[in-house]
Amino acid sequence: MPVVKVLTDGIGEVDLTDIATYRQRGGYLQWERAVRELKSSEVLEMADRSGLRGRGGAGFPTGKKWSFLPASDKPRYLVCNCDEAEPGTFKDHMLLEFAPHLVLEGILLGAYGIGSHHAFIYIRGEFKRGYEIFSHALDAARAAGFVGKNLFGTGYDLEVTIHRGAGAYICGEETALLNSLEGKRGEPRLKPPFPAIAGLYGMPTVVNNVETLAYLVPILRNGPEWFAAVGTERSKGYKIISISGHVRKPGNYEVPLGTTVRELIEIAGGLREGRTLRAVQPGGGSSACIFEEHLDLPYDYESMAKAGSMLGSGAFVVFDDTTDFVKCAFNLVRFFAHESCGQCTPCREGGHWLETVLHRFVEGRGLSSDLAMMRRVSSTITGLNLCALGDSIEPFLKSVLQRFPEQFEARVLREVASA
Amino acid sequence: MSRRELEFPSLAERLRPQCEAIVARYEEPRSALLPIIHLFQEHEGYASREAMRFTADLLGLTPAVVESTVSFYTLFFRKPVGKYVLQVCRGLSCTINGAEDIMAYFREKLGIGHLQTTEDGLFSYEEVECLAACDRATCMQVNLEFIYDLTPQAIDDMIAAMRAGSFSVAPMAQSDRPERTWSVKQDGEVAQGKKSLGALGVSAPNNPGGLGDSSGIIMLDRFVLRDDAPAMRARSNERLVQDAKLVAEVIEE
Repeated sequence: MPVVKVLTDGIGEVDLTDIATYRQRGGYLQWERAVRELKSSEVLEMADRSGLRGRGGAGFPTGKKWSFLPASDKPRYLVCNCDEAEPGTFKDHMLLEFAPHLVLEGILLGAYGIGSHHAFIYIRGEFKRGYEIFSHALDAARAAGFVGKNLFGTGYDLEVTIHRGAGAYICGEETALLNSLEGKRGEPRLKPPFPAIAGLYGMPTVVNNVETLAYLVPILRNGPEWFAAVGTERSKGYKIISISGHVRKPGNYEVPLGTTVRELIEIAGGLREGRTLRAVQPGGGSSACIFEEHLDLPYDYESMAKAGSMLGSGAFVVFDDTTDFVKCAFNLVRFFAHESCGQCTPCREGGHWLETVLHRFVEGRGLSSDLAMMRRVSSTITGLNLCALGDSIEPFLKSVLQRFPEQFEARVLREVASA
Repeated sequence: MSRRELEFPSLAERLRPQCEAIVARYEEPRSALLPIIHLFQEHEGYASREAMRFTADLLGLTPAVVESTVSFYTLFFRKPVGKYVLQVCRGLSCTINGAEDIMAYFREKLGIGHLQTTEDGLFSYEEVECLAACDRATCMQVNLEFIYDLTPQAIDDMIAAMRAGSFSVAPMAQSDRPERTWSVKQDGEVAQGKKSLGALGVSAPNNPGGLGDSSGIIMLDRFVLRDDAPAMRARSNERLVQDAKLVAEVIEE
């Protein structure tokens, strides 16, 4: 089984929230080395050469994202996105609570890589425990001289500020997150300008996921070639996969990208006794399902896209033959309807009415015309909104409606169906 | 003037230095809005109108702007909540592992529904979106502390301990005043939006937090149907590529 321990090294074995333990295992050495020996541009180049892509969902090449920052004297900011709320994802939650110093070192390296003097971490409001743990870690790192002014006597200053969210999935979208960080409603902004040009306080800004930044530490330690040597052609390196649903050992498993879907299910203990697989949702609530015929696909960005879905944040939900897909579709559509910020009509209204229609199916009062409507509705929602939330409403619904139409047809109200 | 209105000024003065320290952490004062409201909610148990007004004054905003912002976030309660805020996950991974039964058990046991508070002010109950603990489904939070692997037995034990006052979790409010009993009227004039309703204000008992659908069938006809527009779908799929190109263009300019 290809389970590895890179970011997850030591989690569950030693207390990595303790700075002494973390340093004993080589913690903050890469940070010290970067500030003392490397130029910002060298850190950026290493991130670029490693092939690291954003681990938060979009999979955008990290080095490339950084390189979009224009050369100017304006202050620039690094923001670590720890607003993990994609249904099925629970990796950042783990890293924050069990490896806060690794997360912090990743943030420091990322900030240095873009030449920033002020980094932020936006922590989901529900992660109160994680917020407290990270606050202690930051205090300890500051006391040890890793955060603050004139670091390692080089004259380089870097401050880190923790910002707690307050319950809003949409704040995981980077421009909504920036608005929330500015003390506003977490509503996504019109793009362009992109954060790289005008982000936090209108200044050049990079927003990176927790896991993305954390991988900078082993990439600096072992070299970008080490990271680029694993994975598939365009999906390099390792990834923490959050496996949940109908498996015997749900949990976070760190594997090389390109591990097959079948292997991932086996890693998580396989299906329950006597059950058969119906579907897998490979990339969180926003992704379409894949099925038996996709079991031998490598789990990477390209293969999942080719199968009509996406790798997303690595939330891997397994469904066996006990699953009521009508309820599942209702559940996810309700989620997106609830979390829509309401700025764009297709998303706000589309989500709400799809939820209403699906609720009817859950209660066994669906209309046969609903079925046709649901098959075509994406054209009135998808691609018509400021951000990707609206596009996330129906991929799951559409994929299960196509695959398991009998589950939906069985919920059509008979009198209406015959009328 | 109510007792809490009389008490608020001294709380505000006590917290003012902390608030000012928060403001100093950011380049622009308004960034301190969420942390300051968090701070007051920790002390009062909810984001009171007085706290929002105080925040507005401190940050140079209008009270309406502060309330508009606060109302966006589901973890800010604009009305008093129970001593124990029970937030049960209704996310997909929990749902396929029995969350519906768990939620029904809670509603039955507490005698209240989604977004409601018990008469004695002990419990507020809410069914929330994915809490990012799917490996330990079904899960919940009590006053924002995680509780995993829920079973009816575990719920019985937990509720009993809470009623006996022996359940170890930090209260939502640090200064847990005995007179802070539950009352709908207190902030009754606060508009009730769909989001951030706080934990009060839904009248239907045993509301499962889904939809009470009655208007859907009539409204269905108004749903605009169009043929699939592949171009639009493609736009969504290629959004990342386009984004990158646009950024590159902007930089070149």
